[in-house]
Amino acid sequence: MMIRRCNLLSHVWLVLILLPFTLWAKTKEFHLTIENHVFTPSELKVPANEKVKLIIYNKDKVAEEFDSFDLNREKVLFPGKKTTIFIGPLQEGIYEYFGEYNPNTARGIILVEVNHAD
Amino acid sequence: MGFRKLLILLLIFSKVVFADGLVVDKVYHPYVLPNEKEFEWRLMSRQKENKTLLGQRIAYGQSLSETVMIEGYLVGEKTEVEDFGLQAYEIEVRWMLTEQGELWADWGMLFEIEKMHTSNDWEVTTGILFEKEFGRTSLTMNLFGIYEWGENLQDELEIEFRLKYRYRWLPQIQPAIEIYTGENYFGIGPAFMGIQRFDGQKQLKWEAGFITELSNSGKDHSLRIALEYEF
Repeated sequence: MMIRRCNLLSHVWLVLILLPFTLWAKTKEFHLTIENHVFTPSELKVPANEKVKLIIYNKDKVAEEFDSFDLNREKVLFPGKKTTIFIGPLQEGIYEYFGEYNPNTARGIILVEVNHAD
Repeated sequence: MGFRKLLILLLIFSKVVFADGLVVDKVYHPYVLPNEKEFEWRLMSRQKENKTLLGQRIAYGQSLSETVMIEGYLVGEKTEVEDFGLQAYEIEVRWMLTEQGELWADWGMLFEIEKMHTSNDWEVTTGILFEKEFGRTSLTMNLFGIYEWGENLQDELEIEFRLKYRYRWLPQIQPAIEIYTGENYFGIGPAFMGIQRFDGQKQLKWEAGFITELSNSGKDHSLRIALEYEF
């Protein structure tokens, strides 16, 4: 009986693991740059209710850490490299983020719009 | 399969399995940050009718890569027959399997090996870590398989399940409900976690929970507290 229950549990977890591959869809890409510890553009508009891919190019010679409680994301941006962060699906609104090493200059917002023009 | 049905299935089938020791501990998130180092302290106190079990852990951890973190623990426990003292050593590896937010849910794995301090007894744990965002809430689940063996232990395979459903209200206060199962134990109760950032990568995280055992009659409450200083 115990073995049967363990088998069922493993099947449940297998379903959870495989489910994402059945829901695969092309994700829209948006770009940010950080240079001289400033994010550009400082206001980025993205569509509501869908997952989007942020590609952040760190042009500085030092690492930065993208941090946003609103977006529930924390990610190291290595110097001279592009880093991908997946966000959403999000409801309409303003979502703030900042760079942990330079929080006074490295700040920006993600503006999530329902009627977003790509 | 509806997500609610899936959750109910997991709870039902986790409830009937068995594990030893303190079941209430911590619900792990499947994330690793590169360049991260941390000190951690955990306290777990379980009060039954006329017994108190106490566990404390201190640890140092650091990430080895963008997806792997290693942590070493000193484990202290006060059991029903022993006073508080150093009980075991443990090495833990967490592996972030998927990029946060890329797939339908986020996945990680956990591996632990623990040796008792004064005896040749061992415990190996392998676990699946799961997290899924629902707007401003996050569901985190852990499923662990635990194998024990040694001179004082009968070879035994156990399963534990942990769940946390958290509302990301404020960085400092994120209320949650937590569920722990194992050792013929089913506990549920309120919890919260919070985070305070300092300069750069320095931040202090705290967690606390008060879990009540429901499957048996009689008093059985567990308090857990955890502090993590990341730098």
